[in-house]
Amino acid sequence: MVLAVGAGAAIYLIAVPLGMLLFAAFRGPADYLPFEPGTSWTLAHVRALFIDPVILTRILPDTFVFVAGTVILAFAIAFGLAWLVERTDLPGREVWFALILFPLLVPTPVLAIAWIFLLGPNAGWLNLAIRSALGLAGAGPIDIFSMGGLILCQALASTPFVFLLLTATLRVMDPALEEASGASGASPLTTFRRVTLPVLLPGLLAPLILVTLITAEQFELPLIIGLPAKINVFSYRIYFELNPLSSLPNYGAAAALSLPFVALGVLLLLLYNRLIRRADSFVTVTGKAYRQRRLPLGPWRLPALAFVSLYVVLAALLPAAVLLWTSLFGYALPLSATSADFSLEAYRTLFASRAFQLGLRNTLLVALASALIVTVIGTLLGWIISRSQFRFRQALDFVSVLSIGIPAVIAGLGVMLLYLSLPIGVYGTVWILVVAYSYRFATTTRLARAGFLQIHSELEEASAASGARWLATQRRILLPLLRPALTAGFVLLFIVGVREFTIPLVLSSPDNVVLSVLLWQLFQSGQPGPSAALASIIVAVALPVIFLARRTITRRAMAD
Amino acid sequence: MLNVTALAKSFVTADGTVKAVDDVTLSVAEAQCCALLGPSGCGKTTALRCVAGLEQAERGRIEIGGRAVSDAASGLFVPVHDRSIGMVFQSYAIWPHLDVHDNVAYPLEVARPRLARVEIEKRVMDVLALVGIDAMARRPATRLSGGQQQRVALARAIVRRPQLLLLDEPLSNLDARLRETMRRELAALIRQIGITALFVTHDQAEALALADQVAVMDQGRIVQMGPPAEIYDRPKTLFVAKFLGAANVLSGLIEGRDAEGRAQVAIGGPHRLLLVTDRPPGIAVDVVLRPENLTIAAQPPAEAFNVIPGRIAALTFQGSHVEYEVDIGGAATVRVLARAQADLGRGMAVWVGVDSRQVAVFEAS
Repeated sequence: MVLAVGAGAAIYLIAVPLGMLLFAAFRGPADYLPFEPGTSWTLAHVRALFIDPVILTRILPDTFVFVAGTVILAFAIAFGLAWLVERTDLPGREVWFALILFPLLVPTPVLAIAWIFLLGPNAGWLNLAIRSALGLAGAGPIDIFSMGGLILCQALASTPFVFLLLTATLRVMDPALEEASGASGASPLTTFRRVTLPVLLPGLLAPLILVTLITAEQFELPLIIGLPAKINVFSYRIYFELNPLSSLPNYGAAAALSLPFVALGVLLLLLYNRLIRRADSFVTVTGKAYRQRRLPLGPWRLPALAFVSLYVVLAALLPAAVLLWTSLFGYALPLSATSADFSLEAYRTLFASRAFQLGLRNTLLVALASALIVTVIGTLLGWIISRSQFRFRQALDFVSVLSIGIPAVIAGLGVMLLYLSLPIGVYGTVWILVVAYSYRFATTTRLARAGFLQIHSELEEASAASGARWLATQRRILLPLLRPALTAGFVLLFIVGVREFTIPLVLSSPDNVVLSVLLWQLFQSGQPGPSAALASIIVAVALPVIFLARRTITRRAMAD
Repeated sequence: MLNVTALAKSFVTADGTVKAVDDVTLSVAEAQCCALLGPSGCGKTTALRCVAGLEQAERGRIEIGGRAVSDAASGLFVPVHDRSIGMVFQSYAIWPHLDVHDNVAYPLEVARPRLARVEIEKRVMDVLALVGIDAMARRPATRLSGGQQQRVALARAIVRRPQLLLLDEPLSNLDARLRETMRRELAALIRQIGITALFVTHDQAEALALADQVAVMDQGRIVQMGPPAEIYDRPKTLFVAKFLGAANVLSGLIEGRDAEGRAQVAIGGPHRLLLVTDRPPGIAVDVVLRPENLTIAAQPPAEAFNVIPGRIAALTFQGSHVEYEVDIGGAATVRVLARAQADLGRGMAVWVGVDSRQVAVFEAS
């Protein structure tokens, strides 16, 4: 029973939409759905990929530069932050940790709009400040609408994710390994080169692969910042095929374009899994308690603080400030604004609009429902993978991990193809979002599996030996022990659900608008006030969650 | 060889400042092995890490081989890699990216001036042979058992022939059976290479077996220092007496002195012991009796003093010996370790004999 439900759900929510994608890629004509009358098998879409000059000369190079630049920059920033917070006596580590997570908790369009307010070539605050300080005229000097601007913004946005991965890596390293090098007569520099780096390397490679994959899947910033700069990356191109300026949606082309993307994702994931397994065999934690010796920063304390503050100011404080200001003062600048510029009009307009009320309801509903579905199914999958003798449990594990490798654009596309073809009237409602969001099993499955593995089977056997039936054992022993892990997973999924922008945009209709999409629509239609007001509200809601999440994460880290 | 003078180090924790090491002074002579013994949190590891240079002391001075390496008064602090030490860590800290050979070769490879390749090879293989793992020189570090890791850690610590060998709980990560074997091997090895060694342990058997000198630590201070036999037989405080072995502690009151100057101590109920102590009458004392120093008999002995009558409440067979738990009334029991005697069984009346020369008396706190 459990097997059937878990396996069935995983296949339905991940494998079926992917299957639809595969069919659509080989069915023509392109603007027909794969099973509509009048379609037939064709290789035209795939062939078109290889001869399209735009793909070869624009999209591939742009995607490569975007991904490589972002990964390198984000890794450099995140490694610096993680090392300072985990291994040195940097003052205020707790607060920094929480603030660094900020970009991870708000929808990316919020950050994108804030950065445009800050770095827009004409009226961006920072540009205005630099121009008046240096006495420059005209636009710039910083143009956010460029490859450099896009990479900078994406790196700032991706840093917290990399930061979390790297702090975990740094935390499990036994400091005695470095001390033993010192006691062997090696200088600190030699120790870093010959012990610290080689020991950390397997732990750094796996996050590197994961971050490369996730950066390649990014859609929000390429759409909001990349498009005006005429930067064309893969994920945006798929969206463009579905929403061309002048013609019908080109399902076939979008699906064909998705295939190499998914293939690349699967390859990277396989590599990632191998590396993780190798890194695990490398783990040198002994289980003996040790007091982390933190490196005294000494005279480097001020530069270190400056580095961390610079990140936090650019990625969290200034964005939050510019949004709040713009929502209250419009385009009036902080130094020249008068009390006459102050107005709550933006909030009034926003609260009065039906779209806002609908969006708020939809956002909460979809995030809660999908988090609940994924938690239940992910737990079942975790149980099947770690506890059952199910023959295909490895395959099931891979299907659940696959969800990391499926970009949101493609997940949206697969779900769109499926429910446009199925005559059950889900398309265009809020429920299609619930189903579409619910493909992200990987995190919960991992958490649940790790949880199950930590629970020694003797605890269950003791319950059975005390006379408890199977179900009672699961309910009274296993579930309570798993609850912390599952709660953390649920909170995480809820945050991901509230942040989600790509899927609801691909599947958007007037009835299923969510706040992140509404924000972009408001911004696109030239309403800076209401969009800043909406963004401020989202930030205000996200702030307490940061500290909650920080607590959950720390407690998990300590439990690990 | 090693001289530590008035060493002090404190840590700031969530509950305030903790004095981890508080005015520790000790010295270890050339080729001697000294143990820092104490319960967890007594500051012994911090003291060791100060000697290693992994922590910087706030006060005090440390000299290794006549060279000052740390002197808080003058601000002198020689970093860990410039001290002539070798260290075995509690977790062994075997580098997972190197094999056995490369782990052990590392201290020689980072040495300045550089050593010739052949010289490094020779010394690595010599020391691997010395600790008995020369056959697994190319085994990856991640595929070693606990005992093998311990040998690699030891080989790595002595390969560059340091003046001082430091060991942090070197045997605590091994299971009980292996621990005894390794303890014997470690003792033999340290004597064989004639190195000066300072090691930290919470296991009194380990300290007594390995060390020439034992320093018992409690709450950051050394409470007693001396050869193992002296520490064991003549503990200066109740803490040392209890920490060094499973001791019986009875509360008593000095009532008076007999003609020979021995103190008459009431230990509850009608029982009296005649003991050697300089404490005056009227003082409450703790009387410490080691189980192996007591005798047990089924008949009352001829002499009537220093005998406690009781009843066997339980007995535990331990192979060569039997531990008798004797109920002496007033909710007090005394454990006696003696050879198995066929005529003693549970519930029998017995007489426990006390040798006044082997009893320690401390003023009750």
